[in-house]
Amino acid sequence: MTATTALYLLLGIPLFACPLVYLAGRLGVRSGGTAATARWLAIAAVLAAWVPFIVLVQNNQAQGELLAMVGSISLMVDGISLLLAGTVLTLGTLVLVFSLPYMRGDDGEEKYYALMPAMMGAMIGLACANDLFNLWVWFEVMAVSSYLLVAFYREEPGSLEAGVKYLVQSAVGSVLVLLGVALVFAHAKTLRLDEIAQVGFGPLGLAAGALFVVGFGVKTALVPLHTWLPDAHSQAPSGISAMLSGVVIEAGLVAMLRTLGAMPGNFSAWGALLLFFGGLNIVVGNLMALRQTQVKRMLAYSSLAHMGYMLVGFGVAIGFGLVDAAAGGFFHLINHALMKGLAFLSAGLLLYALHIAKGDHTPLLVSDLNGAAQRYPVTAFALSLAVLALGGLPPLAGFMSKWQIFAAGAETRNLAVILLVVFAALNSVLSLAYYAPLVNRLYRREPSEVVLAGLPGSRLMGVPLVALMIGVVVLGFWPALINGLTGPAASSLLHMFGGN
Amino acid sequence: MQIVPVLIFLGIALPWLGALLVWWAGDARARLQHGLAVFFSVVSGATMLALLLIGFGGENSGGSLSFFQGTAQETSPFGAFTFAPDGLGVFLAVVATVIGSLAVIFSVDYMRGEAQLGRYYAMILFFIGSMVGLVLTTNLLLVFVFWEMTALCSYGLISFYNDDPKAVAGGMKALIMTQLGGVGLLLGAILAYGYLGTVDVNVFLERAAELPTDVLAVLAFGFLLAAAAKSAQFPFQTWLPDAMEAPTPVSALIHAATMVNAGVYLLARFYPAFAEVPYWRESVMVVGMLSALLSAVMALVATDLKRVLAYSTVSQLGYMVYAVGTGGIFASQFHLLSHSVFKALLFLAAGAVIHAVGTRDMRKMGGLGSQMPLVRTVFVIGALALAGLPVLNGFWSKELILEAGIEHGPLWIWILMLITAGLTALYTFRCVWMVFYGQPRSHLHVHPTGIAMKTAMLPLALGTLTTWLLAGPFSRLLAETMPHHEMEAEATGALLLSVISAPVTWGAMAVVGLGLAAWWQRDRLLLVSEPLADLGRFAESSFGFEAINRRITEQMICMAEDLRVLHPGLLNWNIFGIVAALVTVLLILALGA
Repeated sequence: MTATTALYLLLGIPLFACPLVYLAGRLGVRSGGTAATARWLAIAAVLAAWVPFIVLVQNNQAQGELLAMVGSISLMVDGISLLLAGTVLTLGTLVLVFSLPYMRGDDGEEKYYALMPAMMGAMIGLACANDLFNLWVWFEVMAVSSYLLVAFYREEPGSLEAGVKYLVQSAVGSVLVLLGVALVFAHAKTLRLDEIAQVGFGPLGLAAGALFVVGFGVKTALVPLHTWLPDAHSQAPSGISAMLSGVVIEAGLVAMLRTLGAMPGNFSAWGALLLFFGGLNIVVGNLMALRQTQVKRMLAYSSLAHMGYMLVGFGVAIGFGLVDAAAGGFFHLINHALMKGLAFLSAGLLLYALHIAKGDHTPLLVSDLNGAAQRYPVTAFALSLAVLALGGLPPLAGFMSKWQIFAAGAETRNLAVILLVVFAALNSVLSLAYYAPLVNRLYRREPSEVVLAGLPGSRLMGVPLVALMIGVVVLGFWPALINGLTGPAASSLLHMFGGN
Repeated sequence: MQIVPVLIFLGIALPWLGALLVWWAGDARARLQHGLAVFFSVVSGATMLALLLIGFGGENSGGSLSFFQGTAQETSPFGAFTFAPDGLGVFLAVVATVIGSLAVIFSVDYMRGEAQLGRYYAMILFFIGSMVGLVLTTNLLLVFVFWEMTALCSYGLISFYNDDPKAVAGGMKALIMTQLGGVGLLLGAILAYGYLGTVDVNVFLERAAELPTDVLAVLAFGFLLAAAAKSAQFPFQTWLPDAMEAPTPVSALIHAATMVNAGVYLLARFYPAFAEVPYWRESVMVVGMLSALLSAVMALVATDLKRVLAYSTVSQLGYMVYAVGTGGIFASQFHLLSHSVFKALLFLAAGAVIHAVGTRDMRKMGGLGSQMPLVRTVFVIGALALAGLPVLNGFWSKELILEAGIEHGPLWIWILMLITAGLTALYTFRCVWMVFYGQPRSHLHVHPTGIAMKTAMLPLALGTLTTWLLAGPFSRLLAETMPHHEMEAEATGALLLSVISAPVTWGAMAVVGLGLAAWWQRDRLLLVSEPLADLGRFAESSFGFEAINRRITEQMICMAEDLRVLHPGLLNWNIFGIVAALVTVLLILALGA
């Protein structure tokens, strides 16, 4: 398989799987059966996409960046594309396995399995786009498929409200992005990212960049553009919460970095902007999470804080041209997908066993978790591990990437950045104030009534949890293992921003 | 194959393996859990003793355990994961594993019949392994990693009885306060990497002088902050007394003998790099003095047996920190050894008392000595060592500290430390008296002391009587294996003779005697004690530090609540947020460009 074929397959398989899965599932349901075909077809498609992905990774190691054309559409595979694609595929595969029992028998199950590959394919495409317009198109495909998934429980008012809010705010963001694209095209007469970078911009470049930051920033959940996120994360089916938090908002971030990289001129301005939003995200996310009573909402706000850590990493990387910072940012991106995936999936398992399996869509409260370890030992351990990793306790993965970002912050030898790092570290301590009590509750001796009335969990749902737990622990003990993905991504990022 | 790396690996890996197996065994098989925990802790103690006895100098020198070597890794922020033995590290690893195994043996009786034993033993074993890692690693990142791992275990074990809100609150307090201090260590570590490009501790000690002076000062004070938080020193002293909600063997192991020493260890390890930083040594001495003095006063008025011991731990740690400040590394580490042994003994004996009578309130005890003679005997041995009476181990090491203090520190601090020695004697006798002597103040039913408890206490009592004989070998060990610290090896005889012949010793003995006399004559001292009653009440509220903690917590919660007002959940406001952000970003860029 040549690298170009692999790229076409990587993008094509999930996208073509979408209608096929839907048709197969629909036919199954209409003929009075179940959506079983849809489930397995979707999983088969995602597993099949791993093959071209591995080919592309090998090609990247051997020959570096890959450029390809589909008609007049320019595609590019660099370290960042592979990193995002790998994260999407990993989390997506695990979420699909998790969803088998979780979504079984839900009304519209076949739509769920059709939309998942579409969303994943769109994110991979976004990672490989090499021109502004197609970047925006992939971004929109991802957004549209995620609206439907967020509002999946369409009979539930809460879920519909979340879907509408998400739709409206994302649409505003998309319009801003489109305006930015128009500005760039009017001036540069090209949309190819690498060609734009060669054109000189005046203040127009700054305006376009600001539109990109704010437009993509809605998806990335920069404070104060984040208000859709807590509702969407908490109301979506748990697998989708994991995807949203683990990869969708990160895809928005990658899109933002790609466009800013093409904007010429003063990169330290973009770096400073990201650092500013990073600090804001960290403090607002942590403070808001502190007083939440619903588990999934708390996790949603903690996503804001973690996005903040990534922004600090990328801000330092862009502003000061430091490889360590970029590698740390990407490492945290991967870790966040693993940790938050684990957190949402294990919370989802509890939600499923305690409420959803009984047909009850009430949210999972923090107080419901009391004593859960006695009935669900593996799940409780998984959730504890996830939140401790999110809180940045060594030796779990979350700490190692924060460390890399912080160490890079010190490498700048810049007082403001070092103070920001200290601020971020203090916020990590603050985050323990809501993570640690959660762990404590799980191991109480007196279970809550909800736990006592809970149904047994499903073994199949435990499989992705175990896989993610292994990831979170192994990367904590052996952070160098991920260098193969974060290293090329970091150098691609610095290359985009004018480094070598 | 070299023996040293294997022993280091076993010292860390065996307790961790034990932790996994205990967890695996499940709470339904309590006997197996007890057995596994004892086996793995004792074996890890044996490996560390073997490392000490076989030696890591001479033919075994240079033996170290290293993962992920290679230039790319070594210059990355992670560095090579290296563990190398030296006197300071191995000595503390021995303390952690040996006292750890005694605490686990003690737990067999103490925790019999408790629920969730798996969690208890797994965390203790995980702690022991982490502590060994902390003191043996030469990678700054790993120092921080193990530092936090011990904090996590400490948190989990303080909150072990997690249906009790006091235990949960105590655990959270310990976790948050040590983590806050930990930020100082993190800052220091990343600055060391940012300026030197490596996280290797030995490289840092060699090249510390290359750092700009202000950066080195930030590092030095950052490490001091971390050490103060970990060792419950001023102004972080408040978490340790609340940590006494933990099961007593945990208090003995983590909150007396090992983890709280990590702060002293950190200061001692990095002393050569920081000694020249202006005001650093003075600050260290003042922190130690304030902790020693304030908590001695608090110990004097406390009525909870374990809290008295906790205050005295803070106070004795204050002595060690003070000793580091004066440059008396050997004195501080020697006192650390003595203190670990006698304080673990005191805690375990207190545990035996609490287990037997079912209360921690000393006002309800009294006259227990006749009912539990063995426990009384070992407790008194520990108490005499704490008070600093000859010839127990606490006497020699405390005198060495006071000697170092008068030679290398300001006189006023030294005088306050001397007064603290008198207070120590006073509160120690008060405690012994209230528990074991006098008339029984309530009818407590005394359960017999178990065989495992006795097995754990007797070696410690023996240690309290004899570890001072190790002064010479210990001093030689430190001097030979710590190239960055300027220390001289002295023989046991010479060291002891210098202590006995020093006028300081006689002065100190006089003060201790005064403390003792004050207790005998406590009824006649009413004239003095009346005006001191206010001070006592002030001390009971821990000199206002609790109020500060509460205030900070309330402020955070208040901010969090205020922030929620900005999230009304109205779509119009959300869109307004987007537009406002766009305007702000444009403004920032316009002004910046």
